[in-house]
Amino acid sequence: MNAMQTHKPRTPWQVTLHVWHAMFMRETMARITQDRMGPVWLLLEPILHVMILVWVRTLLGRTGRLIPGAEFIPWLIVGILTFFMFRNIMNRGMSAVDANRALYAYRQVHPADTIFARFALETTLQSLVLVLKIFGLTLIGIAVIPHAPLEMIWVWLWVALLGLGVALILSLPYTLVPELRRIITLITFPLYMLSGVIFPVFMFPHGLREYLLYNPVLHAVELVRMQVFSTYHSVPGIDLAYVQKFAIIAILLGLILQVRFKVRLIAS
Amino acid sequence: MSTDTQQNQAENPSIDVATLRENGPYAIEAIDLWKRYHGPFGGDWVLKGVNFKIPQGVSVGVVGRNGAGKSTLLKLIGGMDSPDRGKLKEHVRISWPIGLSGGLQASMTGRQNTKFVARIHGGDRDINTIIQKVQDFAEIGSAFDQPIRTYSSGMRSRLNFGLSLAFDFDVYISDEATAVGDVTFKEKAKAAFHERIGKASLIMVSHSVNILRDLCQAGIFLHEGQAYWYDRIDDAIDAYYQSIGQPTQKEAAELKAQKQREAAKARAAKKAAEKAAAKAQKSTEKAAATVQKTPPSNE
Repeated sequence: MNAMQTHKPRTPWQVTLHVWHAMFMRETMARITQDRMGPVWLLLEPILHVMILVWVRTLLGRTGRLIPGAEFIPWLIVGILTFFMFRNIMNRGMSAVDANRALYAYRQVHPADTIFARFALETTLQSLVLVLKIFGLTLIGIAVIPHAPLEMIWVWLWVALLGLGVALILSLPYTLVPELRRIITLITFPLYMLSGVIFPVFMFPHGLREYLLYNPVLHAVELVRMQVFSTYHSVPGIDLAYVQKFAIIAILLGLILQVRFKVRLIAS
Repeated sequence: MSTDTQQNQAENPSIDVATLRENGPYAIEAIDLWKRYHGPFGGDWVLKGVNFKIPQGVSVGVVGRNGAGKSTLLKLIGGMDSPDRGKLKEHVRISWPIGLSGGLQASMTGRQNTKFVARIHGGDRDINTIIQKVQDFAEIGSAFDQPIRTYSSGMRSRLNFGLSLAFDFDVYISDEATAVGDVTFKEKAKAAFHERIGKASLIMVSHSVNILRDLCQAGIFLHEGQAYWYDRIDDAIDAYYQSIGQPTQKEAAELKAQKQREAAKARAAKKAAEKAAAKAQKSTEKAAATVQKTPPSNE
């Protein structure tokens, strides 16, 4: 940044770390203090969400409830948690630049920093929810303890990075072209249905599956399930490398766009 | 007015703007700055090739009519926007605009906002000292732990001011910041700036000419996309007054003097007329007295 004369200058990396720390604390406080139930909702909301979805899905009847190699309810819960992890990072990340507009008055804060802060907070929260849920489900006798915990954490982190990459890219149209917000919501909604969260991917016709496999979230959801249930096997073509490539390319492209459009994001 | 100005200049006579402007060192150098705002249907240029060099330690007042680009220039200097063309070289630590209420999150308390600002400025270790400083300056009492959205605008500006002054910048930038707050707070803010003369300088946009005269030495006059540098703030203000068709300070003084002269003249004429009238009356009285044969009153 600037050459400072009366002060020992911080290196750019130090400045960035300070900003990330401050942003993370601020986002956390904002989430906790947004209403009186804040801290409770933080953990309760995703849990209730999953419960309601499970309940709705059981009402839907028996179609597609037979999952080879896994129990239906834990299978569903693991899928929902993975998808929510991705979706929350994406949604909260892409709106971060717009929500923290006031902070660009401080020249240390870059628009991308707000996305990183929300990414870190959301990853922490969702991971906490995952651990609590595994713990709770185990207590009531539902087997969801991952058979390959380290591999699961590895895949889980890639899901988070995937969300970060998509958020970095989508924050640009979201912030710069507010008209596109509706369209983004419209497009991301079917993602829920197409990622094999509620309906298992093998139920889709073979010809369609080929195209569904372009969706990295589907890969991610199936991969996490495969690390949790030892006997579960998804459709052929599920590949962690695809998720990784997608995430890395998205993050790099997102960062390039963030640098290119930084001024417009600040001034918009 | 004019005696007031002389007094203020006498307070800090050590700053020789002309030599500093020639030799540097400079705090900020603007080289051919161009800036426009892009609306949906294009936009007009606000700054058209602005050049100036602000020497270190010189406080500058920016004047110009509404829409001349004062706030735009300040935004560029503050790093909140970047020029379309040209370059802005900054060699010192520059504050965010003082009194900018946008930098505070309304749902959070004054303390939380203070912590945030302290952290991004790398002050995590002496965060308590900074909080103490802000509290001492703002003097908003227990409201410091209330959400900002419950604050009055005066309280907000107190907090803002306290925040800016809790950090040691070389140059503070201010956009109409001193225009808010009650009288005692205005005095306090002014005193705080006076205290920093020598250590830090100020770049200030204000329509309050008195504050500019009080706190700044040099002036930049923005007019039709160009910036004109004046070594003395009074000259900048005069140029600004001329551009908006107001009498300049000198002219105003002359006008005032002329009015006073006229008034004096009028008073003198009136007096003379009264005297004459009295004399006339007296003479008639005298005449009457001589007729009545009474002794004349001793004058």
